[in-house]
Amino acid sequence: MFVKGAIFLINQSKKIHWTLRDVIFLAIIAIFFGIIYQLWSYAYYALAATPLKPYANDLTLGVWIMAGPLAGVLLQKAGASVIGEMLAAAVEMLLFSSWGASTLLSGFIQGIGNELGFACTGYRNWDKLGLICSALGSTIITFIWDLFQSGYRQYSFSLLIGLFVIRLISIGFFAGVLVYWIKKMVFKTGLIR
Amino acid sequence: MAKKRGLNASVMTVIMLGIGLPLSFSLSVTLNLVICSLALIYLIYCRVSLKTTLLVLLAALPLAFGSWWSFLIFGTGDQWHSAWIYGSRVYAYLLLGMTVTMNCRVKDLLLSLHLHLKLPATFAYGLLAAFNLLARIRQQYHQIQASAMMRGQVYHLWQPGLYLRIIIIALNWSGDLAAAMTSQGFTEGAKRTISFVDPLPRWQWLLTAGLIISYCWAAFVIQPW
Amino acid sequence: MIKLAAQQLSFRYQPTKSLIFDHLDFQVEPGTFSLLTGPSGCGKSTLFKLLAGLYPQYGGQIETGQVVLDGQNVAEILPNQRAKKVAMLFQNPSRQFAMRTVSEQLTFALENIQLPLVKIPQQIEKVLAVFNLDSFKQRKLQTLSGGEQQRVALATVLALDSQIILLDEPFANVDLTGRKQLLHDLKQLQLNYQKTILVADHDLSGYQGIADHLYHLDSKTPQITSRPLTELQQSATSWPVSLHKLNSGDLSWQQLTLVTAKRQLLTGSNFTLPRGQLGLLSGENGVGKSTLLAALSQLHPYQGQISYQQKAAQKFNQQHWNQLVGLVFQNSSDQFVRLSAQDEIKLSQKNSLQPKYWTIKRIIQCLQQLDLAGILDQVCYQLSGGQQKKLQLLSMLIMAQPVLLLDEPFAGLDPQSLKQALQLIRETATQLQLSSLIVSHQRAGVTEKLDYELELAHQQLTLLQGGLNNG
Repeated sequence: MFVKGAIFLINQSKKIHWTLRDVIFLAIIAIFFGIIYQLWSYAYYALAATPLKPYANDLTLGVWIMAGPLAGVLLQKAGASVIGEMLAAAVEMLLFSSWGASTLLSGFIQGIGNELGFACTGYRNWDKLGLICSALGSTIITFIWDLFQSGYRQYSFSLLIGLFVIRLISIGFFAGVLVYWIKKMVFKTGLIR
Repeated sequence: MAKKRGLNASVMTVIMLGIGLPLSFSLSVTLNLVICSLALIYLIYCRVSLKTTLLVLLAALPLAFGSWWSFLIFGTGDQWHSAWIYGSRVYAYLLLGMTVTMNCRVKDLLLSLHLHLKLPATFAYGLLAAFNLLARIRQQYHQIQASAMMRGQVYHLWQPGLYLRIIIIALNWSGDLAAAMTSQGFTEGAKRTISFVDPLPRWQWLLTAGLIISYCWAAFVIQPW
Repeated sequence: MIKLAAQQLSFRYQPTKSLIFDHLDFQVEPGTFSLLTGPSGCGKSTLFKLLAGLYPQYGGQIETGQVVLDGQNVAEILPNQRAKKVAMLFQNPSRQFAMRTVSEQLTFALENIQLPLVKIPQQIEKVLAVFNLDSFKQRKLQTLSGGEQQRVALATVLALDSQIILLDEPFANVDLTGRKQLLHDLKQLQLNYQKTILVADHDLSGYQGIADHLYHLDSKTPQITSRPLTELQQSATSWPVSLHKLNSGDLSWQQLTLVTAKRQLLTGSNFTLPRGQLGLLSGENGVGKSTLLAALSQLHPYQGQISYQQKAAQKFNQQHWNQLVGLVFQNSSDQFVRLSAQDEIKLSQKNSLQPKYWTIKRIIQCLQQLDLAGILDQVCYQLSGGQQKKLQLLSMLIMAQPVLLLDEPFAGLDPQSLKQALQLIRETATQLQLSSLIVSHQRAGVTEKLDYELELAHQQLTLLQGGLNNG
C-alpha cells in the first residue's frame, strides 16, 4: 500500500468552499499538533510558573500559531488561515485544553492576524511574501490583543519592546520560515498540487 | 450520581464566548471571582466529576501563579491589583471553558451547534470523524518518532520533516474517511434527516442575553475592584 | 436490476504519470457474487473507487470513457442518491466510520439518505437482526475487531439498501472466523436480498461454492479477464518451512501477553529470536502478527517481559531500543524520513550500525541488484509501490540493527524483485548475524530460504516442527 490516491488538488477558485476532506485533513493535523503541544507543554509550564511567564508566552507563541498559516499555504483559499486556526483551537479545547474559553478566542484572533497578512497580498501570494505578511499580521494583532487580554499594558515599556521582539522572532520562525520549509517539502512530494 | 441536564450546549457556548470576550477587557478582580464561583456552582449542579474538576484546576495553578507573580515583578501602576486581575482571569477563562467541555459530550456539542447555530454539517461530522481517530493518531505519532529513531535521527519540533510526515498521514487518512462517508451517502451541503434531539427553550436565550448584558454593564459601567 | 459498468475507461492519477487503465471495459453482472483477483498494486482499489463514483472526486482524472450506473455517469450522481444503488466497504475497517458507536453510525448513514425520522429506529433494528448484531448496538466501533467492524460496515450498507456492494480487500484485517462469517453474510445478502456483490481479494480461499464469477486483473496490461471457477479449487501446496537447528540469540521474551481493544491476541509466550537466522511469523489475518512486531519494537503495550541480552526492555529508552530492534513497516510511507530516495539511502549510510560492512561499493551493488540505481533522484512518495518497498527494505538493512523485524516486506513485488529482496535479506542477516523475523502472506518462493516458522494461532505462538534439517 502506498500513497497514490492522496493527491490534493488546490481549488483554483478563491471561493470559500470547504470539502469534507479539507475539514478532516485539518482536524487530523490539529490533533497531531495537540499531541505535540502536550509533550512540549512541560517546558512551557516550567517557565510559566515563574514571573517569566510573559517570556514563555511570547517564546512559544509561534508554535501555537503554526496551524493557521499552514492551512493557508496548503489549501490556498481565502479564510483558510482563520478557519484552520479555529479548527485547531476547537480541537485543543475539546480534547486537550487547560486554557478553557481563551483557547477559542485566541485562536480566532491569531487566525485573523494571519488572514490579514494573506489578504494584504490579495490572496495571490502563498509563498514568501504571503508568509512574511501573515507573520507580521499575527504578531501585531496578537500583541494588541495581549495588551488587553494578558494585561501587557501594565508592563513597563522596556519589557514590552523585549516581548514584541521575542514574539516576532518566534512567530517569524515557526509560523513563517518553518511553514515555508514545510510547504516546499510537501509540494515536492507531488501529493498536493 | 447521574449527571443532571444542564443548559443547552449551544447556549453554553454563546455564554462562554459572550462573556469571555468582554472579560479580556474588564479590569475587575471581583467580577472574575463572581464568574469563577458561578461557573463552579453550575458545574456542581450538573454533578460533573469533582476529582477531574479539582485536577484541572490544580493543573492551571502554575499558570495563574506565573501571571500573578509577573505583574509584581514587571508591572507598573497598581501592581497588586494587576497581579490579582490577571491571576484570577486565568481561572475565570478556565472555568468558563469547563462549563462547556466538562458538561457536554463532543458529539452533542457539535450537533447542537449544527442545529441551532448553523455550523455546517461538513464541519460537525468532519470533526467527529477525525476525533474518533484520536487513539490511532497518538499511536501514529509515536510510530513516526520511532521510524526516525530507527534511522539514528530524532524529530524535533523545529524540523519540517516531522510536519511532512504528519501531513502525509493526514492526507491519507482524511481521504479514506471522507471517501467512506461519501460512500455512505454523506453529501456536502445537502439536506439530511435530523434525529438528534436537543431542546432549546426560549428562556435559555433570554438568560444568555441577560447574563452577557449584565456582565458588560457590571464590567464597564460599575467597574468594581 | 441495476447495472454497473465501466465503458472504455482510461484513468490516471497525475497528468505526468502513466495510465492505470487504458480503455477498460468491465460489467458487473447484476444479482451475482463476483470475485476479482490480481496481485497487490495492480489497480483493484483504483477500479473499485471508480466504480463507486469516488474517483475522480477523491483523486486522479478520467481520460476517456466513464462508469455507468443505471444509465447515468456514476461520478455525477449525488452521493445521497448514489448510496442507495452502490456502496463500498474499504480495506482499512477502522477508517470508514464517522461516528463512535454502532447505532450512531447507522443513524448517520440513514440521515444522509433522508430516511424519514420515524423509520430510522426500525431500519436499524432490522439490519442488526439480520447480522445478529443486536447486542452490538451501543458498542464503540474502535473497540471492535476488524471482522466485527466490517460486519457493521456491511450492516450500514444493507441499511442504506444499496443494490450493489463493492468490497475492496475487506478481509485484510479480519481473522479466519471473521472471514468465514462475512462470506456467509455476503452470500445471504445476494440470495435473500438480491444484492450484487463484487469482492476484490488476493486470497482465493473460502470462495468455492460462494462466488459465481471469477475475474482476474492483470497488472501489465490492465484488462479484466474472466476465469473458470475451477481455479478456486486451489492445489494444496503448503510451502512449509523446514526447521533448522536454532542458534542462541539476544532478543527474547518471557510470558508475553498481548491485548488490544479488549481482545486477547497472545497469552504467555516464550521465545528467543536466533541470531543470524530468518524466521517466518505466520498466522491468519487479524490474528495479531503486526501487533507482536510492534510490541517487540516497543510501539505497543504488552504484559510480560521482553529483553535484550537479559536486560529488560523497560530499562532502555525508545531511542536506544530502536538502535537494537529495527522494524520494516507494512506501509512504506511510514518508513521514509527523507524526501528523495538518495537522501534516504545516505541517511542510513551515515548512521549505519555496521559502517564497515556497508561500504559505498556494497551499497551501489545492492541498489543495482534491486534495480533502484536509476530512481535515486526521485521523491520517495512518487515511486511505484514495489520501488517504495525495496527502498524501504534496503534503507533498514543498511541500518543493520541486530534484530530486524519485517512486516510484509514483499507485498506488491514482482517475482524477480522478491527473489532479489529475499536474497539480500538472507545475505545481510547471515553475514552480520542479525536476527530476523518476517511476516509474509506470500509463501511461494519465500519459505525455502527461511530457517524456522512461528505460527500465531489461538493466542499461542508455536514453533512449527517442519522436519528438522541440520543442513
